[in-house]
Amino acid sequence: MASVAAQDAQDWLIDKIAHRLGVDRSEVPPEQYFDELDLDSTEALILAGELENWLGFELGTTALWYHPSIKDLAQYIAEESSQRAGAA
Amino acid sequence: MPAPRRPAAPALIHHHRAAAPGSRTVVLIHPGALPATVHRATASALPETTGLTVLDLQGLPAYRRTGLPGTAGTATLDQLVPPLAAEVTRLREAGPFTLGGWSFGGVVAHAVCGGLPAELRPDRVVLLDSIAATEEYTRTDDALEPALLLGWFAMYLGAKRGRPVSGPLPGDAIRDTDEGLATVLRSAVASGALPGDVTLPGLRKLYETYVEGLLHNNRLTARHRPPSAVVPLTLIKAERSLISGDPDLGWGPLAAHGLTVRSCPGDHYTMLGRPDAATVIAHVIQSA
Repeated sequence: MASVAAQDAQDWLIDKIAHRLGVDRSEVPPEQYFDELDLDSTEALILAGELENWLGFELGTTALWYHPSIKDLAQYIAEESSQRAGAA
Repeated sequence: MPAPRRPAAPALIHHHRAAAPGSRTVVLIHPGALPATVHRATASALPETTGLTVLDLQGLPAYRRTGLPGTAGTATLDQLVPPLAAEVTRLREAGPFTLGGWSFGGVVAHAVCGGLPAELRPDRVVLLDSIAATEEYTRTDDALEPALLLGWFAMYLGAKRGRPVSGPLPGDAIRDTDEGLATVLRSAVASGALPGDVTLPGLRKLYETYVEGLLHNNRLTARHRPPSAVVPLTLIKAERSLISGDPDLGWGPLAAHGLTVRSCPGDHYTMLGRPDAATVIAHVIQSA
């Protein structure tokens, strides 16, 4: 399993969030906190499911609590992905 | 270095309106699934002198199941009663008092009422489309068939998005959950409840989270055997209740002080937000 770089995860998140919100990706800064986005809980969970499908692994239920911004989560995804790729 | 910013934990207490002196206080117990603010519709339909406070179980650390720091989780429904009874006691004013709850919240309200001293009990417990946790009405997780869960999920999704969504009907033959979810997704996209580019893995995550919450409550009720009611019960059933064709959702045998059953428009989820349903709920609460 190939690991996902933090920049790739960040780009994926920004692309998807910008698309869902109908705004340009330049309007979604990496430092943006998820709970400040204009996404309701339904949209957020659907996005999480699509992210997990892209990654090929599930994120823990506490991932967003410990990594509450796009940049933080992307960094966590890269670390988690690297560990999984190394273990495979 | 400043501490990292964390999302706020859900609040337990949602004050919609304070009661005027001597007027009725209503406390509703809400189990989540929909935001606690959904009870605004009922607050608007009640007289301005009636106070309404919602206790959101998601704000009770013993109830939450997220594994977040400070979240103990709980093994039994009875463990939820003491902290909620303490809040109810603190919230009730000197005038008439009604306790109630929606869905699993009604089961909890019934348990909390039994845990209150006689002088602090409400004049009755109002159950908003709650299913009694009696042996006949509780199921193991395995007994909840995918077609049944998918039908409830479609109802929930429709309420969340404000558009009708249909899914498999109970008893429908579906190969697996994904086939049923594909039916729900087609319906949701066709009605505009979801955008056309939502994928099955995205919807599956939403479904799994919904079912996880439902099973959490199911396990709590499966281990709980409610005592007879100590005050009269009023059940307000949605026209499209979770269980169709059932007269009292299992509350009859528990209603030692009487059971009144009323119907309101909508389904199990939309009954909380529809103004016509809120009018019925408010009328029933006020006619105590």
